[in-house]
Amino acid sequence: MNRRLTAGLAALGTLAALLASCGYDDTPLPKPPEAAPTSPPSKPPCTTTDADYRSYAPSSDVVAGGAVERIQKRGRLIVGVSADTYQMAAENPQNDNRIEGFDIEFAKAIGKAIFGSDFELGKNIQFKVITAGDRIGDLQNRVVDLVIRNFTVTCDRWQQIAFSQIYYEATQKVLVTPSLAEKYEGLQSLAGLRVCAPIGSTSLTNIQTQADKLGVDPSPILSPAVTHTGCLVKFQRGEVDAITGDDTVLAGLAAQDPYAVVPPSCDDPTIAPGTACQTSLEPEPYGIGANGDDIDLVRYVNAVLENMRNGAWQVAYNKYLATYLGSGATQPPPYLPYR
Amino acid sequence: MTQSAAAPPPPAVAEQLPAPRTSQRFWPAPTGKPVGAGVADTPRLLNRLQIAGMATVLLFGLLSGLVQFLSYQSDGRAADDTEQLVRIQEIQSNLLELDAIATNLVLIGGEGDHAREAQYDAALTDVLEQIAAAADAQSADEKALAALNVQVNDYATAIAQARANIRQGFPIGKEYVSEASQALRDDSVPILTNLVDANTQRAEDSMAGQHPFYLLLIGIVALTVLVWISMMLARRFRRYLNVGVAVAMAIVALVTLVAAIAAWRGDNQNDDLLNKQLKVAVDQAAARTAGNDAKANESLRLLNRGSGAKYEDPWIAAAKVVTSKAADSILDDWRTYADIHAKIVDNDERDIRQPAIRSATGESTTAFDAFDKAAQKLVDDNGRTTTDELRAGRGIALIGSLLTLVLGFVAAVAIARGIGARRKEYA
Repeated sequence: MNRRLTAGLAALGTLAALLASCGYDDTPLPKPPEAAPTSPPSKPPCTTTDADYRSYAPSSDVVAGGAVERIQKRGRLIVGVSADTYQMAAENPQNDNRIEGFDIEFAKAIGKAIFGSDFELGKNIQFKVITAGDRIGDLQNRVVDLVIRNFTVTCDRWQQIAFSQIYYEATQKVLVTPSLAEKYEGLQSLAGLRVCAPIGSTSLTNIQTQADKLGVDPSPILSPAVTHTGCLVKFQRGEVDAITGDDTVLAGLAAQDPYAVVPPSCDDPTIAPGTACQTSLEPEPYGIGANGDDIDLVRYVNAVLENMRNGAWQVAYNKYLATYLGSGATQPPPYLPYR
Repeated sequence: MTQSAAAPPPPAVAEQLPAPRTSQRFWPAPTGKPVGAGVADTPRLLNRLQIAGMATVLLFGLLSGLVQFLSYQSDGRAADDTEQLVRIQEIQSNLLELDAIATNLVLIGGEGDHAREAQYDAALTDVLEQIAAAADAQSADEKALAALNVQVNDYATAIAQARANIRQGFPIGKEYVSEASQALRDDSVPILTNLVDANTQRAEDSMAGQHPFYLLLIGIVALTVLVWISMMLARRFRRYLNVGVAVAMAIVALVTLVAAIAAWRGDNQNDDLLNKQLKVAVDQAAARTAGNDAKANESLRLLNRGSGAKYEDPWIAAAKVVTSKAADSILDDWRTYADIHAKIVDNDERDIRQPAIRSATGESTTAFDAFDKAAQKLVDDNGRTTTDELRAGRGIALIGSLLTLVLGFVAAVAIARGIGARRKEYA
């Protein structure tokens, strides 16, 4: 009996000890999110040819009831721009966060032409910072008069808006480390390396297509980011080896990192013989966008662009892009005949 | 026990021919001598009753004491769990505060603001220390907190890179801070949500650790057995009362009553704490977290010029959380800040940048800090009250559980003596 009682008490004691010492389950860790499926860029409804780069004939005439007169009456030109494309259009914190860059020089030139000697930048030009996705809608809805924001001229965009003549012959290029740039021999040099471009951009598909065409083996590994600046973050963290995109954008990235280099264009007459260089992967000619009905404004802008052949274009290029893209570029001639 | 061995063996007849039940009356006249059939079996019966009675009260003392001890432990756990819950909530709030300061610092840009930089460094140190303290306090949270620590370190690294780039005027600095803020919400906040959920569940469970019903049940069962023993003795010895058993019954009844009332009161007090002070602490922490989230989104909006609804929609969502959770006493501070934010949005939408940035890094921050400090005080005060209250009554519960155990032994002794008296009478 005593033994039973002792056993019972021991069991109860054990139970008490167990209950007293029972712990909690570990706090669960969240499951890693599933990677969002990336859809390739949609196929354009038409094929862009040189004919699409033609614009309306330049004219400095202010048409009565036209867009230029409307802007003059309003007293300010509203321009849709980027604010984070370094060297093209980005806030300068050392100058009260004013937006500065290659694109902005064209807006200033157009503003000066429209408002004449009374022109004041802060008063006569309103910069509206827009995203790439806003460009066409803002022009169609007349939120802005012009869009000067890395705007590649294409046939399908012509169906929605109007473009000025080409003001810069941008091309798709590659940004790499200085050590790779020294021995860069085209896409073959990217074999098996990780290449970044914005998710869903044509740059990603272009580089894949070109690499396949050239038989690059192993094929470059595509590692997209949300934006080009996001690609530079990955580049600085060593998560990618190269970035591809418009040379103007790459120039802005290279300007922020001494260890990011855009190998010079093989077409650049100023490079020394034997220097490692790259050929452009895809033409990306930039135009200034306007509402499809504002033909007088497009003509006016084209007249301003023609006037910039007096050296203003070269000054702007040398100031913002030459250091990173080479000094051999010049203002492209208009595609003729005009529309 | 030895008496049962010394008792004369009962005649075999008595075992073979038990008396019919009808011959036994429930309350026989008191005589002091065993009556009825089976008289010769009395020593064995007394032994059995003594063992049953002693085992019952010992078991009662042990179980009732155990339930009270578990309640004591549960209140201790509840205090620890609520403390951990408030600590985790504070980590969450402070992490978002860190983001609000970091994004604001990047918005200031240029030479920076040394006072604000010192605030950022202090907030980062606080968060890292709180994570270490939380991991030390609750081992079940260690893995989650280790993962959080990695995320916070990544965040701090990205912000350092952002500040270095912004100082040189490079826009990539904005990308670093925007990505870090997004990663904070995508990777760190889900970990903190899990931690908050787990600790809320633990705190609620441990605060429900008072069991007046079990105590009553154990007491009633013990009393029922003692009443049955008492009846058996009365039937056999024609005495209404066995003093020892009666004393044991009184002890069991008294202990049960006192313990059940104490547990019931403790349960009510815990419910009150759960629904009042702890709820206030948790709600104000949630309001503070959402407020800092909103403030960070305000800075991100201005950093990413032209971003529009991308950062304003989260601001509106966070503001809704603040207005639904924040105590009335701090809502005025929030409204003051929200009015300034509305002016910032208006200026930003019209691209009037400098006044918007000046406001976001000046008066908006001052107004927000007033709200943040007031919310923090409410969290601290109510969190402390909750844990203090939970710890305050624990000593009595421990004494109660030990006393119950001791009284169980006293009752067992009383039964032994009471039945021993009958045994002497029989002898």
